[in-house]
Amino acid sequence: MSRHSRAGWIAGLALTAGLAGAALAQSGSIVFTSWGGTTQDAQKKSWAVPFTKETGITVKQDGPTDYGKLKAMVESGNVSWDVVDVEADFAAAAAKDGLIEPIDFAIVKRADLDPRFVTDHAVGSFYYSFVLGFNPASLGGKAPKGWADVFDTKAFPGKRTFYKWAAPGVLEIALLADGVPADKLYPLDLDRAFKKLDSIKKDIVWWGTGAQSQQLLASGEAPIGQFWNGRIFALQQSGEKVGLSWEQNLTAADMLVVPKGSKNKEAAMKFIAEATSPEGQASFATESGYAPVNVKSAALMPKDVAANLPDKHTGSQINLDMGYWAAHRDEIGKRWYAWQAQ
Amino acid sequence: MTVTDLTATERPHTTSSAPRRRGRGLAPVLPALVLVSFVFVIPVLALLLRSVLEPEPGLQNYAAFFASTTYLKVLGNTFLVAGTVTVVTVLLGFPVAWFLAIAPSVWSRLLFAIVILSMWTNLLARTYAWMVLLQRTGIINRTLMNLGLISEPLPLINNLVGVTIGMTYIMLPFMILPLHATIKAMDPAIFQAAALCGASRWQAFTRVMLPLTGSGIAAGALMVFVMSLGYFITPALLGGTANMMLAELIAQLVQSLLDWGLAGAAALVLLVITLAIYMIQLRFFGFGETRS
Repeated sequence: MSRHSRAGWIAGLALTAGLAGAALAQSGSIVFTSWGGTTQDAQKKSWAVPFTKETGITVKQDGPTDYGKLKAMVESGNVSWDVVDVEADFAAAAAKDGLIEPIDFAIVKRADLDPRFVTDHAVGSFYYSFVLGFNPASLGGKAPKGWADVFDTKAFPGKRTFYKWAAPGVLEIALLADGVPADKLYPLDLDRAFKKLDSIKKDIVWWGTGAQSQQLLASGEAPIGQFWNGRIFALQQSGEKVGLSWEQNLTAADMLVVPKGSKNKEAAMKFIAEATSPEGQASFATESGYAPVNVKSAALMPKDVAANLPDKHTGSQINLDMGYWAAHRDEIGKRWYAWQAQ
Repeated sequence: MTVTDLTATERPHTTSSAPRRRGRGLAPVLPALVLVSFVFVIPVLALLLRSVLEPEPGLQNYAAFFASTTYLKVLGNTFLVAGTVTVVTVLLGFPVAWFLAIAPSVWSRLLFAIVILSMWTNLLARTYAWMVLLQRTGIINRTLMNLGLISEPLPLINNLVGVTIGMTYIMLPFMILPLHATIKAMDPAIFQAAALCGASRWQAFTRVMLPLTGSGIAAGALMVFVMSLGYFITPALLGGTANMMLAELIAQLVQSLLDWGLAGAAALVLLVITLAIYMIQLRFFGFGETRS
């Protein structure tokens, strides 16, 4: 081997080692999975971008969240998601079934977070309200006030729209509309709720995704119904003439969880810490119209934005009971889908 | 010479090469067999196992499926929709395929391009386009209301009407293409022969054309029916929950209830019925082949 080529060989080796070192120093990447659309865009902007800037860890976006897929990953031991945005009743059930890792509160600051939205296995992602949304133009200029109006097809004719999946919300709305006081909702009187829903069943159009709910409302296809407040906020931001009522708004949080067997557990916990930090939550709330789960965030937000978030409507607010739902999720789900299909 | 014999001789380029292939051994198809067993047979076996092992060993998932009026109704809906779509695609596809076969080449090429392009366009985009057209505040209802033809919007979406319209549109190319191949392969002289023998146009159609295109119709119908049975996106978006199809039920069981045992059972019931239909089809029509 000539000196010349040996030098080249060494240089090449050094270069390779250098590249490998750089890759190690970057400590890889994590995969964040959420529901897509405007919500995930805001999560990316408010959480992933600053997180990568601070830690050098890249955040790959995936989605939409799929509980079946999450379960399959954990069971097969081939977990490619590190942090997943899920609904709270699923988070509770998944913790019970051993599908998710406990949260490392040495990294995530539990004291700063609204205790309603923290458990040992899941931390609030953002908190939303189910609100009554309506399209005034399609209702002859009338403004519905409470959930009873959604069931009043005489005063407010046309289709009404509700969330399609068996999840906290619709059954509570039916009971409230039927006159059940907010503090007597749980345990849910399922017979009564389904009977109330039967009275308008032929007028219901179900929405499966937030985008679909927006389309139904803005087009007037279903001029009244149950919506995530952030989706109404986004419609109003884009200039659509839609209204909402905060009366008896139903709150719950989406939760961030780490699937059991995540290969980047520590980075995942750091990402959750960033996402639930005062700044991360304030920025996300400003973008999305959902409320922050961090109690220190409100001070960091523009006043006019803060005034329109669910946490400013706590007087008329009802918390959905996720403990009840986690315990009864399966039986309610079976009955729910059977009822829908009949 | 019977009519079926005629088709065999008239269509030299179809896949009636089974007798020649015999005796060559398994070697040429081995790679395909390995691929199919990895991507199809093994997953199906895994599904079968889940359906009899979860949540505990036994046949309780199948018992639950057949004991539930809801699931049986969903199964009924699935066959009703697939059957309706198949019939409608035959009725609509036949004239189109015929026109494609006999039209001057400029027109037939243009129409062919339209059929193929619609197949290549994103499925979700096409389904959403139908939502925009069919909904209460959609273009069709608005036009009809503005013309004073109706006073209330027609219920064209979130029901079986919407599903049938959307799926017919999506399945149509799968009917047109095999039909077109069959019609194209016919010798136009047989119609002259029919006329010489004194057949009216109607008789020429029912007694010469229809029997000759039978295998094409059967192939197209099988393809459309079987694909429709497992269809998900279009029924999920254009249908209502009261007329759900089996694929959506399976999605609910997997995604929302996390009940994979029952989902596996439902999927296998569908698969078994589909295979049974395929067998019946092979027995009576063959697949693009003719019986001698």
